[in-house]
Amino acid sequence: MWRNHPTESYSNYSGISSSLSSSTYSNFSSQTKWQRISNKSMSREINHSSVCRPYRVPLMEDDSTDRDYTTAQSIVGTCPIMCPEKERIQREGLRDLAIFERLNGNPRKSSSSLAVKKFCRTISLKEIQASDLRPLSVLEDTLDHLMKLLESSDHSFLLLHDFIFDRIRSIRQDISMQNINNDQVICMYQKMVRFYVTSHHKLRRCEGDSTTLSSIHHLNMEQLTKCLGSLYNLYDMNRNFESIFDNEAEFRSLYVLLHLDSQSNSAGESLSLWFSRLSSFIISSKEMCFARTVLRSFRMGNFWRFFHTIASESTYMQFCIIEPFILEVRAHALACINSSGYKLHPYPLRTLSNILMIGELDLESFCNASGLQTSHDDVGNKVLPTKQTGFSHPKGGFQCNVFSWLELLKKDVRQSEFSSASDSC
Amino acid sequence: MAYISMGEAHRRITDYLNNFSDAIAAQDGALLRHLVSFSFNNPKLLSVADALNVFQDVSRLIRNSSEMLSPLLRALQCYKLGQLVEAYNSYEKFANAFLQEFRNWESAWALEALYAVCYEIRIIAERADRELASNGKTPDKLKAAGSFLMKVFGVLAGKGPKRVGALHVTCQLFKIYFKLGTVHLCRSIIRSIETARIFDFEEFPPRDKVTYMYYTGRLEVFNEKFPAADQKLSYALAHCHPDHEANIRMILKYLIPVKLSIGILPGNLLLEKYKLLEYTDVVLALRRGDLRLLRSALQQHEDRFLRSGVYLVLEKLELQVYRRLLKKIYTIQKHKDPSKAHQVKLDIIVKALKWLQIDMDADEVECIVAILIYKNLIKGYFAHKSKVVVLSKQDPFPKLNGKPVDS
Repeated sequence: MWRNHPTESYSNYSGISSSLSSSTYSNFSSQTKWQRISNKSMSREINHSSVCRPYRVPLMEDDSTDRDYTTAQSIVGTCPIMCPEKERIQREGLRDLAIFERLNGNPRKSSSSLAVKKFCRTISLKEIQASDLRPLSVLEDTLDHLMKLLESSDHSFLLLHDFIFDRIRSIRQDISMQNINNDQVICMYQKMVRFYVTSHHKLRRCEGDSTTLSSIHHLNMEQLTKCLGSLYNLYDMNRNFESIFDNEAEFRSLYVLLHLDSQSNSAGESLSLWFSRLSSFIISSKEMCFARTVLRSFRMGNFWRFFHTIASESTYMQFCIIEPFILEVRAHALACINSSGYKLHPYPLRTLSNILMIGELDLESFCNASGLQTSHDDVGNKVLPTKQTGFSHPKGGFQCNVFSWLELLKKDVRQSEFSSASDSC
Repeated sequence: MAYISMGEAHRRITDYLNNFSDAIAAQDGALLRHLVSFSFNNPKLLSVADALNVFQDVSRLIRNSSEMLSPLLRALQCYKLGQLVEAYNSYEKFANAFLQEFRNWESAWALEALYAVCYEIRIIAERADRELASNGKTPDKLKAAGSFLMKVFGVLAGKGPKRVGALHVTCQLFKIYFKLGTVHLCRSIIRSIETARIFDFEEFPPRDKVTYMYYTGRLEVFNEKFPAADQKLSYALAHCHPDHEANIRMILKYLIPVKLSIGILPGNLLLEKYKLLEYTDVVLALRRGDLRLLRSALQQHEDRFLRSGVYLVLEKLELQVYRRLLKKIYTIQKHKDPSKAHQVKLDIIVKALKWLQIDMDADEVECIVAILIYKNLIKGYFAHKSKVVVLSKQDPFPKLNGKPVDS
């Protein structure tokens, strides 16, 4: 169970501040008394009316920002299956069925256990009927069904991604139309973020037309950040003093890792501002300390510590997010060594490959891609001569320089995490 | 609460109403300001509130300006009774009606009173939000106050003499946005102030300019744009009245990290005078090249530095501390043997760090040395095979020249 037991956990939380995400209440001496729903909500058989909270705050993300779902009365969905029958029949007629929805491969036939409701951009709340919306338990089952598909390797990842990407967007749409924002939704959002994060990693390794792939990657990132933002709001809304969300620290740490090079991006919220509103509990967590160490090393240019920290402490999700920055750090390392190293002491590639967590041969290619020649010393080891004038930062498409990383990890403990994303919350 | 007779209540209320009308008739901004300011808990004003509890049918007494006076009185009554949400709602109604009248008044005589209304609406909104939160409801009054202030800004942003008030209102908005954490909303209003032709920055009152530069300087700190932050916060410091020690302290709180990042250290006397002792160890660490002290200082005040948004700035000082440490080693070596001083073995650096209880691999030390050289913080090169840093014989530690360490 992903929630700590109430009685045991309280004594651990001397560090929890009573502040919520807004700093307005940080000097509020007594704890703000959010009305807490009972622990009944933890059980799965709950019906929706008892999940009501004293107020409703809309999930921040929705695909059309001018839709305000809070003003409408909250609908409770009644569709008992993953796809409303009406839609399934219509799509069967139009032959608009994804591969994963086809019964025995028949492009004209689906079933209630295969069809999954599609995302519809132009739906307005007024047109929606309860029978079109799936209630929470059905949504949970739908998500689990989609996540299971990921484990099958019959189809290319791109195809899987395309399908799941669309269908989970529809799930989120159903959730926000019904204005549900309880613990179970948190669990679902965590699974969805995990999907986007692992896709972020896998898409870089897909083969295909680079322009298309690059735009798919970009859209994936867009949904990742939206979904993550909503997840944070959900954490804030559901916070109480008796228990914590086991995974919150890791998911919060992803924000930091997404913004490693935040200084160049002035449009988003600055990291300093973001940190100023974080609870002390999260700040002192292992995952956040990791993210901050990575951030510090990245900004200082301390490539040694950057790789060392990642290799020893990174979780799979954290690594997926960090990966695109690795190119930059390696390039910076080459630049430093090339400009600061003694001309008569070419730098051994073996040492450098250990520091930069990259295979020697790959390192050699990388040096060449950066405009640097490599050579050999007297005994045949590969070396990098310094003070070369041809250095230039290698241009990265999102796919470039994807070097195998996993083999270089020394700790076996991490391998099990890397094999498959766990499906527990 | 002492017993008030109906007659007494009637007298207090009509006095208040008359003062209000008189103030407007005589264009007496100061008097008007007193009448609309609840938060100073002026006893005379509160006594009117008491009277309102006794004398129920106040609308009878209001002859003119009823759109303003009716909600104003209700706000006053609720305020005294501690019903802050109701007080806010009524005060907002009053404020909107007041703003309409203000528009019609030709000169800027009522600016002072308008400032008071802006201040009050913010304060009452904050308290209303606390009441909402304690009842489990969404606190949205401060946000609403922000919307009202935007309206005020719109009214002031014109060609007439009223436009000098725009900066004051801007600062009130900053306070709201900072409190709510919606700091990104500052951007559009900053753009209006800085690019609109009707505004001449120099025309604004000095106090407002200082406050404005303080907040915009803080924004630059959040965005880590240090030269701009330095310029703005330094302006605020230079133009802040020397007696306003609390304000000076607030400016320094953000200016010091910015200065540190360009290598300018404040003296201990300054830190003591303005009680900014959280920076003492940081400054000492920089002077001594004491990495351990820097880290422990950051750790000790982590919460405070994170909340004010300067933590990431201070963290960056590590490179400067390494540089200082190296310089110290070099200086010591120079005393022992000037001819060999410029060669610093990596092992020595590792030892020095160990002495500071910091365990660092020789590879990491080499990495840091490489960075220091690459960023021109030291001049020289490192020889990998001999595990030695060879410093340039001339000026191995060039001055930072007021540029941020990273650039």
